Amino acid sequence: MSAAHLLNVADVTRRRAGRLAVEGVSFCLNRGEVLGLLGVNGAGKSTTLSMLAGALRPDSGHIELDGMDFARQPAMARRLLGWLPESAPLWPELSVDEHLIAFSRLRGASRAVAKRAADTIVARLQLGDLRRRLAGVLSQGQRQRLGLACALVHDPALIILDEPANALDPVQVGELRRLIRERAAAGAAVILSTHVLGEVVAVCDRVAILHEGRLRHDAPLHDDHGSDIESVFFGIATGAGA
Amino acid sequence: MSIAAVARLEWRRLAVRPLAWALAALTIAWLAWTFVLGLGQFLGAQVKLAGIADAPGFTDLVAIPLLAELVKLAFLVVPLMTMTQLAGERRAGTLALLASTGLSPTRIVLGKYIAVLGWLALWLLATLAMPLLVGAESTADWGKLAAATLGTALLLATLAAIGLACSAATSFPAIAAAMALIVTLVLWTIDRGAQAAGLSGGFLGWLTMATHLQNLLRGLVVSSDLIWFALAIALSLILAIRRLGADRERQ
Repeated sequence: MSAAHLLNVADVTRRRAGRLAVEGVSFCLNRGEVLGLLGVNGAGKSTTLSMLAGALRPDSGHIELDGMDFARQPAMARRLLGWLPESAPLWPELSVDEHLIAFSRLRGASRAVAKRAADTIVARLQLGDLRRRLAGVLSQGQRQRLGLACALVHDPALIILDEPANALDPVQVGELRRLIRERAAAGAAVILSTHVLGEVVAVCDRVAILHEGRLRHDAPLHDDHGSDIESVFFGIATGAGA
Repeated sequence: MSIAAVARLEWRRLAVRPLAWALAALTIAWLAWTFVLGLGQFLGAQVKLAGIADAPGFTDLVAIPLLAELVKLAFLVVPLMTMTQLAGERRAGTLALLASTGLSPTRIVLGKYIAVLGWLALWLLATLAMPLLVGAESTADWGKLAAATLGTALLLATLAAIGLACSAATSFPAIAAAMALIVTLVLWTIDRGAQAAGLSGGFLGWLTMATHLQNLLRGLVVSSDLIWFALAIALSLILAIRRLGADRERQ
């Protein structure tokens, strides 16, 4: 595998509940690139993202982030990534500020650095009015924004977003898209898993399509020989194309 | 460093959780009532005790029974305090999120263990304050009280480690609490069958938690008792760490 790419995923396979959830998946990701990960329910997207986030270990294959092997240096590698899982899990008894400071400090930041990082991300995601509010009383959209803030607070090199637009209103979705492009322009690589094709078209540089655990398509968004991503996706999902 | 960050996070969560405050308030009230009753009986028996050579004093009749009462409460309170620590987090999805920050299972388990130990230490100190305040004005046997306090502290630390191991084993906090209670009761009474058969001591006697606590409550600090508690704590924490590590393979 080459260390020139920020992320190298090589021949990763993982069984779940007795069946192959992900089989032989390989792809690379460069700094500044936004990859849209598409697939129908059960295609293996969440399993793939969980492996990238370090929550699941692959049965076989390798994952390298910035030249660090996930199997050999899991702690170092995972410190470079920010992950927003699908349901934005949070601690209901902690405030917005406490979440952000905790996520920085868990990654080794001092209190002063964590406080500064929290101030920055609060300003960027317009969470200022909610800082002292407990996560348990936030609306679904506010929880999603807090989850996003927790994923971004330490300025990660790789950002993994699983359905980040869930429960966001159209204005917030637009803001999310700007934020993703802004992070990519700053050199971060982003993986965006979504069911919304329009989301991918609006924000991604590349599209990967998983189907039945296998990577069936991986190409730049505008390099499909004239065919739009919608027809490619439906072709794969319905078995009419590859 | 990150162990301290986990401990701080967990401590903060404990501090704002109603369960921790409710348990602390109810148990301290019960222990205070037990202490007042014990002290009243002790004062009422002064004339009788004065006539007995080497009669038991304040420590034997008031302070150590109070610690024994705390131990009884701990069988229920500690599993309730530890049940959500890993099981609840796993169920809510925050455990995977915690692991994604680069924390190893060892750091997560130790951080959470330190946090619950902090709460238990405050609980023990609040209880101990009662005999200490009265004992300072009387003739308490400080050595015996220190040994009994050490025994109680070790027992609380052991129950917390067992609770954490049970919490690591499931995604359901209620099941974790029930498992911890059962494991504790089994460890407490494991030699009862042998005793009924007229056998005492031996391996089963050594395995029993009560054997080791009784020595310390009597003021005897024996290294084998300390080793038993250290082994029980280490084994429980290792089981919790291994189970947490296996999460990444098992899901």
